[in-house]
Amino acid sequence: MHELAIAEQIVNVVMTQVEAHQVKHVSSVRIQVGDAMGIVTDSLTFSFEMIARFTPELDGAHLEIEKVPYLAKCRRCKQDFIVKQFILQCPICEQWEADIVSGTEFRVLDMETG
Amino acid sequence: MAKVPIVQNILAANDGVAQEVQDTLAAHKIRSLNIMSSAGAGKTTLLERTIKRLNGRLRIGVIEGDVETTNDADRIAAVGAPTVQIITQGNCHLEANMVRAALAALDLEQIDLLCIENVGNLVCPANWSLGEDSRVVVVSTTEGDDKPAKYPHMFAVSEVMVINKIDLLPYVDYDMGAVKRFARAVNPNLLIFELSCRTGEGLDAWCDWLVSIAAPDPITR
Repeated sequence: MHELAIAEQIVNVVMTQVEAHQVKHVSSVRIQVGDAMGIVTDSLTFSFEMIARFTPELDGAHLEIEKVPYLAKCRRCKQDFIVKQFILQCPICEQWEADIVSGTEFRVLDMETG
Repeated sequence: MAKVPIVQNILAANDGVAQEVQDTLAAHKIRSLNIMSSAGAGKTTLLERTIKRLNGRLRIGVIEGDVETTNDADRIAAVGAPTVQIITQGNCHLEANMVRAALAALDLEQIDLLCIENVGNLVCPANWSLGEDSRVVVVSTTEGDDKPAKYPHMFAVSEVMVINKIDLLPYVDYDMGAVKRFARAVNPNLLIFELSCRTGEGLDAWCDWLVSIAAPDPITR
């Protein structure tokens, strides 16, 4: 259910920009979501587009989601690897110590007006 | 048609309020925990036992988050700790603005450790910072031992895991090794406490840790 609360946050961020730039209508909003954030993107899209229908400046706007892979770097062998199911073990040397490289991104990138 | 760049963290509004909460608590030298679990793991019971056991050593304040009722705040008040109940009326998690509002109802001069009991849910609270110092996830032996594998995000963002109801181990098919393996797989640095609120076993280690992070400095107080 928190996808609805997150969608509200996205709408708030966008509406601040709509007012600042005096935009009449937004046709799409592009966001970036890292795989480490545990977000159900289908639910987020559904929630955003539902709220957008009740907001004149956003009526019919689409949400475009750019996914960022959850990547970590092994401290021992220095290899980057994709973290699957949140398991932070290096698949090459099986070491458990790794630093997160990407996947925690969670931001609004831009909006298309018109 | 024109592209307008924005580049702003989606949760920036919440994170900004969380920072305010953290600053307020820091100004009063209060350490804070965000306690999360699925419904029924024993968060409130853990707080009741902890408050009783640390009476005289640590002044604990509690913010209770629930969808409805003041039942949990009533239980905490009964053991003598200052408490504020947040009723979310359907919201599945606490957000920083709710905590900020709740702080106004507490005498912060009288608190060393603030425990924020989140809504029982292993999914949604993980994304919302409340301005806490540490996140504590509570599991219990009457749940599946694969909870950390099923809800990895919660365990990945927590610093501490409490395994409650260990007195029931002879009666349930709960593999302590498995739950710790699953949890450490997503969070190798997780601090783990095993305890039973019912028998008191393991509570001393947990309470000693709380004292170590939150006891008032005798020089500054």
